[in-house]
Amino acid sequence: MWGLAARLLAAARPHGTARPHGTARSKQKLFSTSSVLSKDKDKSTASKDSPPEGAAKKQEDGAETPKQQLLDIIGNMKVEVSYRKKLQQLKASENKKQAMNKVEGLDSEGSVPQGITEDTQRDKPLNPELVKAASAVASSLPHNKKQIESELLAQLRRHEETTDKQKKGGTINIRNVISEMTVKRQSPAQWGVRISGRISLQDEDGRRIRPERSSARSMDSRRSLKVGRRLNIFTKASTEPEHALKTVSSPTIWDLEFAKEVAAVTAQPPRNGFEEMIQWTKEGILWEFPIDNEVGMEDDAEFYEHIFLEKHLEGFPKEGPIRHFMELVICGLSKNPYLSVKQKVEHIEWFQKYFEEKKELLQEI
Amino acid sequence: MAAAALCWALRAARQVLPSSCPRQVRSYYVDWRMLRDVKRRKMAYEYADERLRINAIRKNSILPKELQEVADKEIAALPRDSCPVRIRNRCVLTSRPRGVKRRWRLSRIVFRHFADHAQMSGVQRAMW
Repeated sequence: MWGLAARLLAAARPHGTARPHGTARSKQKLFSTSSVLSKDKDKSTASKDSPPEGAAKKQEDGAETPKQQLLDIIGNMKVEVSYRKKLQQLKASENKKQAMNKVEGLDSEGSVPQGITEDTQRDKPLNPELVKAASAVASSLPHNKKQIESELLAQLRRHEETTDKQKKGGTINIRNVISEMTVKRQSPAQWGVRISGRISLQDEDGRRIRPERSSARSMDSRRSLKVGRRLNIFTKASTEPEHALKTVSSPTIWDLEFAKEVAAVTAQPPRNGFEEMIQWTKEGILWEFPIDNEVGMEDDAEFYEHIFLEKHLEGFPKEGPIRHFMELVICGLSKNPYLSVKQKVEHIEWFQKYFEEKKELLQEI
Repeated sequence: MAAAALCWALRAARQVLPSSCPRQVRSYYVDWRMLRDVKRRKMAYEYADERLRINAIRKNSILPKELQEVADKEIAALPRDSCPVRIRNRCVLTSRPRGVKRRWRLSRIVFRHFADHAQMSGVQRAMW
């Protein structure tokens, strides 16, 4: 059914024909080529709704009424699905627009008002000729006539919309696209190389096959990327201006909750043992390999800070048993490789505090 | 910058949150004795430094004896569970206080069970 509508539009091409001009000159122009098309393109599936008129006569001279012509054409139409058809259909609708513009002065019956063709808004009414044709098609078919007619009109509207779009926007002319493409042709030698390349071993035939491979690659890269006309398929992405940094407020409770929720949802259970081990490593259950003995110990202090701890002894009296005791403590700490400098300093400070508390006791002694 | 703050929060949340996958988590100890042992270990860890320092004062021939006596009293005043001597190396799975091999932290019975089922890496029945 849609093929019929497509044919209607395709039929609108004003190819030059040898038909005699009559009163319905435009109509003849419109419908003359469709029969030509139907003869040429025979690749088609059987039409679902075979029209009741199986008119054998394809072309008759201008004595027929336009409606009879149309019905004849419908009888010859078949449902077709092909890309080329759609292309022609789009082109035809474009050309039909131009034809309308040309023909309007000459046409006597069904004159196209100028406002319609030049009006490029979407809500414009359809071409009355097309409407008539659609109603004729609908009437010719046995099933739901009203439904068919409305569907056909909707189809026509859509086609007009696409043609409007094509006119407005940059034309994505498919010819330009296809012209750049070339069929890749390989010499039989290269076929042989490719097939044998998969099977052969690297060691033996590596030397022989590699230079041929490189030659094949150089052939492919013959056509560089920047050669050729611009195809206007993609719009250039506008570089967004960097947003000014917003002032930071400390993350609110809601932000934290949201973050927790997101983390809970996105944390998928591990699919296999490797992912489980990765998760464990992140959590700290599994160590990182190769094992680093100094994980967690970030002692940036130099060796002299570990050994020469006498500078911390300034708070203590210079003579006496306490000093003697503390020097022993320092000697022991300097030999200890397991403590960090911070821990050693903490030890010494604790002793200092302890002895200050016990000062009264010490005075008595 | 709000996005950066959110990212930071996400990272923190990820570390804090446990994973959603069902993993075996030990929520109960085998028995109360094991729980008490765990408490003792924690406390011993807390007071370890202090005990070490006070003992350094006590086990000393240089400092005056009065000072050492005071230190004795002080160390006795610390909580009883803070001393490491009260820790018992129990079996991790059965809480058995005796017959525990230190390397595996398992009692002899559990060790034998796992070794026979080939679940102990590098352990083989001895035969010579």
